[in-house]
Amino acid sequence: MKRRDFLRNTGLASTSLFVPQFLSGFNRNGFHRNGKNLVIIQWSGGNDGLNTVVPFQNDIYYRNRPTLAIPKKKVLKLTDEIGFNPMLGGLNNLYDEGLLTVINNVGYPNPVRSHFRSMDIWHTASNSDQYWQTGWLGRYLDQNKSGDLPHTALEIDDALVLALKGQHKTGFAASNPAKLKRAANNPFLQKIAHHHQHDHEENVEYLYKTLINTQSSANYLSEQTKGSKTKARYPNTQIGKDLATISNLIARDTNTKIYYIDMGGFDTHASQKNRQERLLKQYDEAIKIFVKDLQKNQQLDDTLIMTFSEFGRRVKENNSRGTDHGTANNVFFIGGKLKNPGIFNEAPNLSKLDQGDLIYTVDFRKIYASVLKNWLGVNPGDILLDTYQPLDIV
Amino acid sequence: MSSIKKKITHLYWRAGFGISLEKLNQKSELPFDVTIQQLLKDAKKPDLLDFPLPVYEMASKEGITKAERASLRKKLQRENRDVNSSWVRKMVHSDNPLLERMTLFWHGHFALVSRNNSFVSKSYINTLRSHALGNFGDLVLAIARDPGMIRFLNNQQNKKGQPNENFARELLELFTIGIGHYSEQDIKEAARAFTGWRTNKKGAFDFSERHHDFGVKSFFGQKGNFDGTDIIRIILEKKQTSIFIVSKVYQYFVNEKINKEHVQRLAEVFYQSNYNIEKLMRTIFESEWFYAEKNMGTKIKSPIDLLVGMMKTLQLNLENQKSFLFIQKILGQTLLNPPNVAGWPGGKAWIDNATLVFRLNLAGYFFKTVNVNVTAKPEFEDKADKKMKAKLPATMNLSPILAYFAQFEEDLIFTNLRDWLLQSNLPIEKSEMDAFTKHQTKDDYVKSLLLRLMTLPEYQVC
Repeated sequence: MKRRDFLRNTGLASTSLFVPQFLSGFNRNGFHRNGKNLVIIQWSGGNDGLNTVVPFQNDIYYRNRPTLAIPKKKVLKLTDEIGFNPMLGGLNNLYDEGLLTVINNVGYPNPVRSHFRSMDIWHTASNSDQYWQTGWLGRYLDQNKSGDLPHTALEIDDALVLALKGQHKTGFAASNPAKLKRAANNPFLQKIAHHHQHDHEENVEYLYKTLINTQSSANYLSEQTKGSKTKARYPNTQIGKDLATISNLIARDTNTKIYYIDMGGFDTHASQKNRQERLLKQYDEAIKIFVKDLQKNQQLDDTLIMTFSEFGRRVKENNSRGTDHGTANNVFFIGGKLKNPGIFNEAPNLSKLDQGDLIYTVDFRKIYASVLKNWLGVNPGDILLDTYQPLDIV
Repeated sequence: MSSIKKKITHLYWRAGFGISLEKLNQKSELPFDVTIQQLLKDAKKPDLLDFPLPVYEMASKEGITKAERASLRKKLQRENRDVNSSWVRKMVHSDNPLLERMTLFWHGHFALVSRNNSFVSKSYINTLRSHALGNFGDLVLAIARDPGMIRFLNNQQNKKGQPNENFARELLELFTIGIGHYSEQDIKEAARAFTGWRTNKKGAFDFSERHHDFGVKSFFGQKGNFDGTDIIRIILEKKQTSIFIVSKVYQYFVNEKINKEHVQRLAEVFYQSNYNIEKLMRTIFESEWFYAEKNMGTKIKSPIDLLVGMMKTLQLNLENQKSFLFIQKILGQTLLNPPNVAGWPGGKAWIDNATLVFRLNLAGYFFKTVNVNVTAKPEFEDKADKKMKAKLPATMNLSPILAYFAQFEEDLIFTNLRDWLLQSNLPIEKSEMDAFTKHQTKDDYVKSLLLRLMTLPEYQVC
């Protein structure tokens, strides 16, 4: 497509790109919300699932973790078998209120213990011996079912994860929309983006198109996050700030449908206890406020929050009061419309391990299939490129 | 621009990382064919990455304490980052651009991840450099024996009776013949042939008779007591291998969109020459269609292309070692850390809103007209959820450019700089850029125009 056509088609041809009509135009023409928000929180580094959802009745757990095991009396008990890390008091309440589903033993066949590869597999939804170049949510965007706007999927970061990269479409990355607006909108970049509407070679055309989209989305998002912000008091942590941004955008009913947060620091090979608990606490405090905020804005029924990590960790602790890379792990869903709140499936079987690691029983792609089919309303096979039976999550 | 200058800049962008103004003028006085021959001749000179590895030497010593070893590991990672930046510097300063370009191409093809072992990184880079324009069969064999690759693709674990198929699979799928041209059984048999191809503690190739399966294998319809060398020979006997490699070369050096006729003809040349890489590249650079309008200014520069090209043009020196890694990370191409064994997808995949804005602002960061306000994602292993920040302090030497233009009028400076820096047609007139350039002195004008041209989307292609 020539840039001129592109401009016409997307209604951007007007020179008065940044005036309010344009902004309302976005809402009028661009996108019809089905009102559903998906928030994904990625725990990078491999969170230790066994010290997150603790099998407090299991002797094998205590035997394998002489220094790291969480004492039974400190565990926040969920069932008579498993309970939360004491830092997860907020999640414990969500569990009691029926707003949380814990899925145990999530993984994939022939697990890879490299962060990079395993995260790639989670992002692309490939098998462990396949190398795919597009992410599962990117392929969802490619299908174009939810409109054409560049910020349909938004990562609160300065760089974009592979999960959000499709063949033709990509998600949008902005750690702070106002900051991006300043970077993308210096007068010279504005001038070159809008003054000339000549025909370009295809790749140059693509660059101009991306620039124009970036400028308009950065403007739109920063406009939407300005002014009357959420009154809720989010903790002053990265995850707290990120969730506050998302809450503001959801409250303003923007066109963004998918939000993504990448939270790092979970690679706890040494002195795990303090580090993991600090991170879990940050997560718990921020999520607690976020869910209350959504409830207050009557958005919780339309929001689904998924939390995952690229793998869990070895059952047996190492000699440095830490744990090494493992395999299957738990995944959390939070939302107002969960079909099976509570503990979704059986606790990890610690007596049957593969090279000291948990054996997965739920393929993560079945989880993706459920989200795609029952939340985003699309055919999962088209996106996962194979058939996975959706689970009864939402 | 004169058509010969246009051809020279195109050739130098695709076969290297751009050309200095001075060199462009020299070359434009010579017959074009001389330029091509010189480029190919220079690339034949042996030119390895010569980088001392003091920390690695220490780390291989026995009898040190655990704490010492942990601190050494950190230093090793730093040394590995130094290998990265010295490789980038080599691309910038080398007068052997084709060798640098081919080495980078092969790094994307035989993609290896080596994030914390400086020895492995260096020896792998030099494996590529030694064969970059030689015989493709020799290159594949050297890669199969490369200590880094043996570890990366688990051939260390490939033993008689307990085969590990990782290397054999990638050899067929990604390195030589391409998916759809072999069976799962071929992979199994090839894996057996590579059993016992290991590396020892010193990082040298080591053939272990004990672990090698000397039995009969049947591969691509042939039967014998094959070892890895035989497998590579049999793969190269298949014409499809030449088509697969030439297609990839064509998409990288000529155009993402394959011209079947050109690829067919090049594959024929490559196969007939017994996989002579130099012959293949010579044929491309000597072909008229290589300089066709539709093949010029159409390739989105990779982050390394962009960085190295800019450093060459501006004679830029990055003062902070961290800057090399920061730029690569933000833009999505870190040397020695491709996403996986399939390399970087390239093309439009380089571009998203975040990478594009950083690319367009990169010259502004170096000219100090824009502040860096982005952070890079932390590494998986980083202790806290801390994002990487950098300021990108840099110095540049523009005096040769300023001296060259001292006698020019603004109009001529504009067209000359534009044609030198941009491979894609620029539909913007000088008069329209004037509001964004400085006009007090000639030097001001040249500097401000340099910055503006390097900020254009057109500068992102070559």
